[in-house]
Amino acid sequence: MNARPLMRLRLTTAATLEVGSTPHGMLSVFPITGGSFDGERLRGLVLGGADWVTAAGDGTFELDLRLTLETDDGALIHMTFSGVRDDANHYFRTLPRFETAAPNYAFLNRLLAVGIGEVHPDGPVHTIEEIL
Amino acid sequence: MNTRLLMTLRVTVAAPQTIGAVPHGTRRTVPITGGAFEGPRLRGTVLPDGSANWLLLRADGVLELDLRATLRTDEGGLISMRSFGLRHGPPDVIAALARGEAVDPAAYYFRTTPRFETAHPACAFLNHLITVATGDRRAEGPIYTIHELL
Repeated sequence: MNARPLMRLRLTTAATLEVGSTPHGMLSVFPITGGSFDGERLRGLVLGGADWVTAAGDGTFELDLRLTLETDDGALIHMTFSGVRDDANHYFRTLPRFETAAPNYAFLNRLLAVGIGEVHPDGPVHTIEEIL
Repeated sequence: MNTRLLMTLRVTVAAPQTIGAVPHGTRRTVPITGGAFEGPRLRGTVLPDGSANWLLLRADGVLELDLRATLRTDEGGLISMRSFGLRHGPPDVIAALARGEAVDPAAYYFRTTPRFETAHPACAFLNHLITVATGDRRAEGPIYTIHELL
């Protein structure tokens, strides 16, 4: 598979909301309070959002993130991802998708991407690549 | 991005059901009539019942694909596969595909992101895999080369 870098996304989070045991597992909401993203083709700030995280019961977590990005030239981008986090196997991978109405960033509407996540003390960092 | 081959999946399709203009675009459903998959760790067949690809042609010319299929391994394990994807390309290439002509898959963008669910112990590793696929649209049905994201 060929890919090329799209952005590095750094997120800051607030205290986790423990929703508790639901029919699909233990649900936690990780509020995203801000952050930044930076790549060759786009950069800017994270306006906010959240990641809905369900513990599958076998030590893995299913991720369901939604947030809004604002580029340094004022365009808003709706971003979502689903993903998997398995700390025992150091596997933290996501499938980001983007929607925007800004013509300069319309290429985001037409691509699929993968992300490699890392847990840092000040919040998660996602290295996102476009699937070519 | 480090990946390794998970499987090559070939599906056969029936005539599309054109739903037509819906609020988000033009919707078509393509029934899957069968197929086969093969990779280093698993192989088997595609079950026709309940397997299809739900297509939405967006106003910006991008085709969204929402494939759902049931796979059966040669050991008898059932795997539920769901795959979101995008397909787009130059108008002449897309027109050639629509006419059922053979087109070099490098001439257009056809990528999907399969996820799997299974209760079969031998296939349990699939439950937590993120995968990406390149598609090759043939007249008789698409061929997906699916790679596991390492």
